Amino acid sequence: MTDTVPVGPPIIEVRNLKVGASERTILDDVTLDVFDRQVTAVIGPSGSGKTTFIRTLNRMVETTPGLRVEGSIRYQGQDIHDPRVNPVLLRQRIGMVFQRPAVFPMSIYNNVVFGLRLNGTDPSEFDRIVGHSLERAGLLKELQGNLDRPAFELSGGQQQRLCIARALAVKPRVLLMDEPTGSLDPISTQRVEETVEELRREIAIVIVTHSIAQAARVSDRTAYFYQGRLVEVAPTEVLFERPTQKLTEEYITGRFG
Amino acid sequence: MVAAPDADHSLLNPTGHVRRRLALDRAVRWLLLLAFAAVLFPLLDMVYWISARAVPAFTWGTFTENQVGLGGGLHAMIIGTLFLIGIATAFAVGIGVVSGMYTAEYAPPAVAHSARVIGNVLAGVPAIVIGYFGYYALVLYTHWGYNSLAGGIALGVFMVPFVFRTTDIGFAAVPRAQREATLALGARRSQYLARVAFPIALPTMLSGVFLAMAIGLGETAPLIYTAGWSSSTVTGLLQPTSYLTGAIWNFYDFPSTEGSFLTLAFQAAFLLIVISLTVNIAIQVIADRYRRRLRGLFQ
Repeated sequence: MTDTVPVGPPIIEVRNLKVGASERTILDDVTLDVFDRQVTAVIGPSGSGKTTFIRTLNRMVETTPGLRVEGSIRYQGQDIHDPRVNPVLLRQRIGMVFQRPAVFPMSIYNNVVFGLRLNGTDPSEFDRIVGHSLERAGLLKELQGNLDRPAFELSGGQQQRLCIARALAVKPRVLLMDEPTGSLDPISTQRVEETVEELRREIAIVIVTHSIAQAARVSDRTAYFYQGRLVEVAPTEVLFERPTQKLTEEYITGRFG
Repeated sequence: MVAAPDADHSLLNPTGHVRRRLALDRAVRWLLLLAFAAVLFPLLDMVYWISARAVPAFTWGTFTENQVGLGGGLHAMIIGTLFLIGIATAFAVGIGVVSGMYTAEYAPPAVAHSARVIGNVLAGVPAIVIGYFGYYALVLYTHWGYNSLAGGIALGVFMVPFVFRTTDIGFAAVPRAQREATLALGARRSQYLARVAFPIALPTMLSGVFLAMAIGLGETAPLIYTAGWSSSTVTGLLQPTSYLTGAIWNFYDFPSTEGSFLTLAFQAAFLLIVISLTVNIAIQVIADRYRRRLRGLFQ
């Protein structure tokens, strides 16, 4: 990342976030800012709470029964846990892409417009938005003229980029990516990273990754989680070159995890 | 010159343990074939036995005329069976689909568990008990007398567990990732159910509905005390009606088992087999068509 990181007010502010299951603590006292038009990478070994962390940001944690969430999360200054906040609206602002692509059993086109139908977008806008979203996900050239084909016919990498296009279609301000390349081959991984690169000056992206190299390639800031705690967060070059914490250093130099 | 294989490296003559395993494998294969034949042969024999007596006697009148005395046709019973199965299916789908969706998607785990147990219990209640309950609740209590609605509902109650169970299974089998992806796009739960889960669960649900219909078609017990019997064609929900299984029940054991009366019983049996076969083929065709759209989803 050679260009300078624009710093404005954070788009998401997480303060003293705790997530607990019945017996154990999954996240403990996490305080972190996510900035607009930046890529924030979340790294850490398995079980460190990375995935749970990003699932709190769009309140997807609530779909897992039995988890307690404490602490505050603000999106553009608004408390997302305010009882008047509808998680449906929140999730339209903060999109998400999962580790395994979950395309819906319908055509490619209908996959992309799925979220638009949910939020009542004027159907005359659909064609334009589909084209634009597929373009941004780097799929348009490959798929042009085949948009009526079932989405299941696509390769795994194409399916994942379709999921990205689907998430982008509703114009989220933040895109959460939970190990988006975890089930992809190297070439598909590269494509997804290119998409992230293209989006990174337009929206805020939070990407959970198992690959330290990927975090170094795509992100502006990196947060290192270990055993449910945020150990360190810093601009990516700083974190990788001059980590202040022993734990971070051990992880990024591959001594464990 | 080709070297001879080592004594214990022959690829052609298995010995010892491997030899015994292969022999067992062959024996099991024959056993399965035998079991299959043991099921298939009586079925084919029965179909032949019925067809041989029913088919030659079919005339146009079998379908258009009502039974009069010892002769006539099955018109009232064909219409009656279709009418009853229609009411029963509407009832079973209404109750079964809604309760199955509730159990799979909305019910707290303890409630869902109880619902499944109750569903299984209902599936185990003898059909005659359901018939008698229908007689008490829908014939006597209502003062309607024997009527098609009571028959259809009693038959429907008998069919509910099949629809309920397959709906529950169909919705529960929708991959979690589909649900998460839908909710993460800002869908409400009802939108997830209607737009994503329903199409995925549909083939399973359809197979349950058709299975229930196929089983319901062959049931007599829920109808005996509820639908009554009528030799004229049914004209309304609160009219009694005759039906094909009743024709077999009434005509086959009739003291005078001669001539056309007995033939009517065979023809009713033949028609039931044809209708049931049609329903079963429809299951396959329709469910396959939906399943093809879902190819790639369940891996």
